[in-house]
Amino acid sequence: MPVQPILRYPHPVLKKLCHRVEKIDRSIRDLIQDLVDTMHEGPGSVGVAASQIGVTLRVCVVDVSKNRHGKENNHGLLLMINPEITARSGSATMREGCMSVPDYTGDVDRSTTITLQFTLPDGTLQEITSSGFEAVAIQHEMDHLDGILFLDRVTSIKTGLFRRKNY
Amino acid sequence: MTQQPEILHYAVTVVGKDRPGIVAAITEGLFNLGCNIADSSCTMLAGEFAMILIVSLKRPFSKSRLIEELKPVCDRIGMTLGVRTLHADEIARQETDGEICMISVYGADQPGIVYRVTRELAARSINITDLNTKLIGTAEEPVYVLMLEVALPEGETPEGVEHTLAALKKELNIEIGVRIITPVAF
Repeated sequence: MPVQPILRYPHPVLKKLCHRVEKIDRSIRDLIQDLVDTMHEGPGSVGVAASQIGVTLRVCVVDVSKNRHGKENNHGLLLMINPEITARSGSATMREGCMSVPDYTGDVDRSTTITLQFTLPDGTLQEITSSGFEAVAIQHEMDHLDGILFLDRVTSIKTGLFRRKNY
Repeated sequence: MTQQPEILHYAVTVVGKDRPGIVAAITEGLFNLGCNIADSSCTMLAGEFAMILIVSLKRPFSKSRLIEELKPVCDRIGMTLGVRTLHADEIARQETDGEICMISVYGADQPGIVYRVTRELAARSINITDLNTKLIGTAEEPVYVLMLEVALPEGETPEGVEHTLAALKKELNIEIGVRIITPVAF
């Protein structure tokens, strides 16, 4: 059963810190396949993290190549085990939603360019620099591995302007 | 005979001079009644605090019971209360197939900016979902800022909206920008 149901908040797993993968075995490769199948099943989904399907391991997948925001600038299908951001720069706001928090959206600030390292399913270490929409998607999915939802990062639920003006 | 819904909905508005404790006072009253706050938006406008809440309760209940509880609270803290009974079709979730856009309008203050812009939008069946205005700048050079979030009808494009507003932009000598902010669900 490759396509897994996406857990929705308040499922407790979504707020858990995920564990590092110590050994890449068959179960990890199966997990990655489940994540890819689940991502492709979701309408317009561009990424899924393991915790969203109930597995508290630091594994996530991202593919923005078919999305209108990401099709010009992407690394195709990214299968990421133990991803870590080693450098980041820039900041941009985008209105985000999440399959695990339906019916709610909010503006979130993210780095515009990130350099990250992760392990591929065959065990090799990879480093990429990602920018634009793909970088936002990676940061959103990596947050799931730390039990962070976009709700924890929302800067404004509507326009960010004028809200803090003093009289 | 049509069956009456089990849950009743009301739109509650509370407006008055801002001070700490308004939300706590109002929501205490709602809590005492066993009300749910289903949807709400509260903000400070100039020195006024404005609350708009959609509240829900189980039958049996009445609008007068709601007013009976909240009116004394509002009187005590100097707020004006409004209560409106909602019908089932007013509570249904509003969805759109079109793009969600932010329209930013700004320029030298002059009468009619909001009216002229929104009249064009209404003519193209563009629905405003959120709107903020602010007078900024100096007394000598006041600048008006209007920010709108709109839902475009299916088939309408941001470029189409910009084109529609181009003549107005020129006539009023104001800036008008349209950009897609349709949320992305990860």
